[in-house]
Amino acid sequence: MSTPVSLEGLKKELPAKLRQVGWGLLVVGIAAIALGYVIDPRRMAFDNAIGYLFFTSVAVGSVFLIALEYIAGAVWSTPMRRVNEFLGSLVLLLPLIALPLFFHLHDLFHWTHEEALAADKVLVAKSPYLNVSFFLIRFAVMYLLWSLFYVLFTRNSTKQDTTKDPRLTTINVRLAAFFLPVFAISLTLTAVDWAMSLEPHWASTIFGVYYFAGTVLASISAATVVIIYFHENGYLPKLQRDSFYSLGALLFAFINFWAYIAFSQFLLIWYANLPDETIWFITRWKNGWEVVSILLIIVHFVVPYVALLTQDSKMDLKRLKLVAIWILIAHLLDLYWLVMPSYSEKVSLSWTDLAFPVFIVGLAIVVMAYKMKRNNVIAIGDPKLERGLSFRL
Amino acid sequence: MSTAALDYTRELPVVEGSPTAAEVDATIAAPLDQFPSRMWWIIFSIALSFFSIGVFCIGMTLYKGLGLWGVNQPVSWGFDIVNFVFWVGIGHAGTLISAILFLLRQRWRTGIARFAEAMTIFAVMCAGLFPLLHTGREWLPMYLSPYPNQHGLWVNFTSPLLWDVFAVSTYFTVSLVFWYVGLIPDLATLRDRTTNKIKKVIYSLFSLGWRHSNRHWQHYERAYLILAGFATPLVLSVHTIVSFDFAVSVIPGWHTTIFPPYFVAGAVFSGFAMVQNVLIFVRQAFNLKHIITLDHLEKMNKVMILTGSMVGYAYAMEMFIAWYGGNQFERFVFLNRALGPYAWAYWTMVSCNVIFPQLFWFKKIRRSIPAMFIIGITVNIGMWFERFVIIVTSLSRDFLPSSWGHYTPTFYDVGILLGSFGLFFTLILIFVRVLPVVSISELKAVIEGGQPSKH
Amino acid sequence: MNEKHLFAVTALFDTPDEIIHAAHETTSAGYTRFDINTPYPVHGMDKAMGLKQSRLGVFALVFGLLGATSSVLFMTWVTLIDYPLVIGGKPFWSWPAFVPVAFEITVLLASVLSVVTMIVLYFKFPNNSHPLHDTPYMKKVSSNKFGICIQADDPTFNQKAVEEFLAKVGGKEIGPVFFDLEDLDHGQHIFDPKFIGVLALTAILVSGGTYFTFNKLLYMEPFSWMSAQAKLKAQRPSDLFTDGIGMRRPVEGTVARGFLPYPFKGKPDEAAKNLVNPLLPTKEVIDRGKTKFLTYCSPCHGNFARGDSRLAGQFPNPPTLHSDKVRNWPDGSIYHVITEGQNVMPSYASQISRDDRWAIIQYIRVLQRAHNAKESDLK
Repeated sequence: MSTPVSLEGLKKELPAKLRQVGWGLLVVGIAAIALGYVIDPRRMAFDNAIGYLFFTSVAVGSVFLIALEYIAGAVWSTPMRRVNEFLGSLVLLLPLIALPLFFHLHDLFHWTHEEALAADKVLVAKSPYLNVSFFLIRFAVMYLLWSLFYVLFTRNSTKQDTTKDPRLTTINVRLAAFFLPVFAISLTLTAVDWAMSLEPHWASTIFGVYYFAGTVLASISAATVVIIYFHENGYLPKLQRDSFYSLGALLFAFINFWAYIAFSQFLLIWYANLPDETIWFITRWKNGWEVVSILLIIVHFVVPYVALLTQDSKMDLKRLKLVAIWILIAHLLDLYWLVMPSYSEKVSLSWTDLAFPVFIVGLAIVVMAYKMKRNNVIAIGDPKLERGLSFRL
Repeated sequence: MSTAALDYTRELPVVEGSPTAAEVDATIAAPLDQFPSRMWWIIFSIALSFFSIGVFCIGMTLYKGLGLWGVNQPVSWGFDIVNFVFWVGIGHAGTLISAILFLLRQRWRTGIARFAEAMTIFAVMCAGLFPLLHTGREWLPMYLSPYPNQHGLWVNFTSPLLWDVFAVSTYFTVSLVFWYVGLIPDLATLRDRTTNKIKKVIYSLFSLGWRHSNRHWQHYERAYLILAGFATPLVLSVHTIVSFDFAVSVIPGWHTTIFPPYFVAGAVFSGFAMVQNVLIFVRQAFNLKHIITLDHLEKMNKVMILTGSMVGYAYAMEMFIAWYGGNQFERFVFLNRALGPYAWAYWTMVSCNVIFPQLFWFKKIRRSIPAMFIIGITVNIGMWFERFVIIVTSLSRDFLPSSWGHYTPTFYDVGILLGSFGLFFTLILIFVRVLPVVSISELKAVIEGGQPSKH
Repeated sequence: MNEKHLFAVTALFDTPDEIIHAAHETTSAGYTRFDINTPYPVHGMDKAMGLKQSRLGVFALVFGLLGATSSVLFMTWVTLIDYPLVIGGKPFWSWPAFVPVAFEITVLLASVLSVVTMIVLYFKFPNNSHPLHDTPYMKKVSSNKFGICIQADDPTFNQKAVEEFLAKVGGKEIGPVFFDLEDLDHGQHIFDPKFIGVLALTAILVSGGTYFTFNKLLYMEPFSWMSAQAKLKAQRPSDLFTDGIGMRRPVEGTVARGFLPYPFKGKPDEAAKNLVNPLLPTKEVIDRGKTKFLTYCSPCHGNFARGDSRLAGQFPNPPTLHSDKVRNWPDGSIYHVITEGQNVMPSYASQISRDDRWAIIQYIRVLQRAHNAKESDLK
């Protein structure tokens, strides 16, 4: 059809200034985390849980997006897939962010305390699942599985750059089929382990889906920010407006999905009015948490909904980028709302809450710069690439 | 497993071969112009007989009362609600295909959308029958609508049963409008084709005077997009609200927060199975194999494996949280489902919904017509049993062992279920003879050479 | 058909590329009153024809907002103002429970009204008498040809020039389309007897049908097994008994549980001697006595038991209860009078329960004390 896609004329190295900012944020982040753990280890542990969940959202979510493209046979996202692959590489660094927490599990999880177990029949009943060794095993297994799939996906994708072998795509499609159930179960368990078990008496079957909705939003948003930055600064070839429309539409769809899941969970618990369930929402509806709750509805649903409602707004790059950044912050707020009420009944803010976000942004930039240097920014060997570049709705 | 190289550089054609626009007209309009074949009459009379069994049982229910059914305390929701949820679920595939796949720009939907939409409408009609019968006062349905009655009392806007009234009636109306809007250009084409005077009057009446004008097409396409945009959350909302009927209560096994997405996934699952089953016959009978291709059926099977796995996830999640939540009633209900008096129903459900569809992982089975037909049928059996398990096991084993009970359906329960299938297939058989089963105008737009070479 | 009115000149094309090209040319040639007819929407035609974007989305938004606000306001009015009802222990205004209905109404109005707007406002349908109908041109664009139609009311229209222009851009089967003469007859048809007849028939059918439905049909019970059961009903006749009365009297001498008959019937002195007020003059008792006194006693005895009632003059004046006689009566005597009646005063035994009678007595004592307050009471 048209001439084969080449990388000529595309910039490769991220600007030095950005790299410096990345390193700077990374160092500041690490320092802040260390300081935080010295000053207030308990609060820092909760911040760490938020950080872990956020990091998982972006990293594992990106691997999920890679799998999704393969299994759905999507073409519009093929020119952008490398961005997902780069962000997905964060999966390998997951232990980095989980490690400090393993020394502070007592601060975080009520169910790790022997004396709490002794006084509480319900916790004893749950202890076959909620115990430290099984928790660590689960973490290790999930980490290994995620890393394995990430490595396999990207190895095939990178190999394709030189061999141009379409069979590698077929292999990745099959891998994706295996990854999806693994992803569904592991993400649910992550949500149960790191957020739901903070209040070990409370349980909700939709919780995994709720975290999944946030995960997809966060990973698409992260990719959107990077893609638009690359596109504007000449790292990516010219992409069709329709491809950005697809990104915007996907964001819009998942904003609605998140609201749908969140509202379903709330309505069912509110309506049935069982004390052991409503307590979770009641703690989020007093002592200042009600402000956070209302803010969450506005920040996570109303604002992005209105911002992306019209057809044109989904193709407006400037707006799309702003909304993507906004959604990342909204996801952080969502996790804050999930985790922090277990830390204190009264809403509270601290500078330590910023330590992990700063660290993660810095890490993402550094990793991005590293990956950009060593990899092609588009999958030039992918058989779907040409169709992706000329994608029309 | 061989890694045969697929061609990823080209999109699969929506229509196999490259028929011209005139050939498309002829193929799709053919069933409307011919006298029905003997096979059609045979199937039609079978469907009609089933329908008359239903009419008889409904008549007896009206005449004698609900005592003819197997429902009694504590299981006061039986086949009636099981069938209602089942049929509403079947109805979900149509709007999903026509609206969601439209928004996702899945062009393979073109060949199957019209038919699936029609199925939606007929399935919702079947579904609507059951709550009406279930009220026991079928002649007083106006009490369901918010009108100021003689006591100045309004309907209860906080009741999920009322939400159902709004959801199902809205869904029916919007599906009908969606379907009709899609039909307008086709009716105009038929109007200009036919030589029969009576048909011409009917087509003229319903095509409203459509002229294929591009000044109209422009608004028409926008309207279609808007309808799809509204129908998508609508289709999710309908089964969500149906799930609220159960989930807002405090009955163990009913009150669980995953119900809304789980019900929606199950509905799409069973709907696709039904569409796939019926399309297998339609494409055979009306020579539409190049329009409703094996690739399309394979894609539907892929959607089924996806939604089936979602349903499986929900089963697993319910079990896990029932254990993890530590509530003894919840724990008992789930043990009772798997091991109690209705264990046979539970394991039928699990094997039909979760285990058998896993066979679709194999490409051979995904593309084999007999295999996919059988799996499609088992999926619908499984999904019917899913509703049966949810409703009957939870109600028959209440908090108090002294008020436990057992539910056995009667002849009339079964008869009305058979009758609803009869009604559904009767309507479908009439539909395939009087209206184009594939959208003519949409199909012409996607055949080769149907669009300008550059735009 | 001697006088023909030209509607438009039409031409046909075979491929989408040709029609897009023709549309471009027509727009740039300056024609505005023209139309393209194609069997399906051709991509890029809006741009080629120079059409503005459809504004149907704005209508959908407005209708949607209308549905959302009207349904929420309606439910608010019903549950807060018109008929507040506690349901499931929830607040009257339970907004989460309004979401499903509000959502459905929003979708219903937005989608149905948008389609109606499109059909009625934009298309001006139904219209089966357009000149293009039943032309060979229409039959072809309905199936597999792409047609252009330049209307005679275009400001720059000239039949010959248009025909030449269409031939130049590659059109085939170029030809004129005329108005149907019947359709051009714009005379008054309102007083056409046929029209009036249809109108009258519709009116009769609609009003009759509505009357029958709302006044008769809705009150017809197809089957009445439940309401018409063969059982005894309170206060209804019954053939089962010879006296024809459904309700039966209890056997003579039956004593209802907790209702022993009054033992001092016709024995005021014994009542005075034996009866003791079981209630203490607490605040609750006096309040209850006051309520009952004002309900049953005050119409004759007056609000303050002075015998100055609203009925004064119509009956023999009821006595004041502040007389020395009554003040010195034991409680039992007052009780006896309330129970049995005295002179014109009837018995209140069936209206006022036993406890209430004793409460009234406590209140009367309060009134009596208030009317004869002592110096010490003020302290």
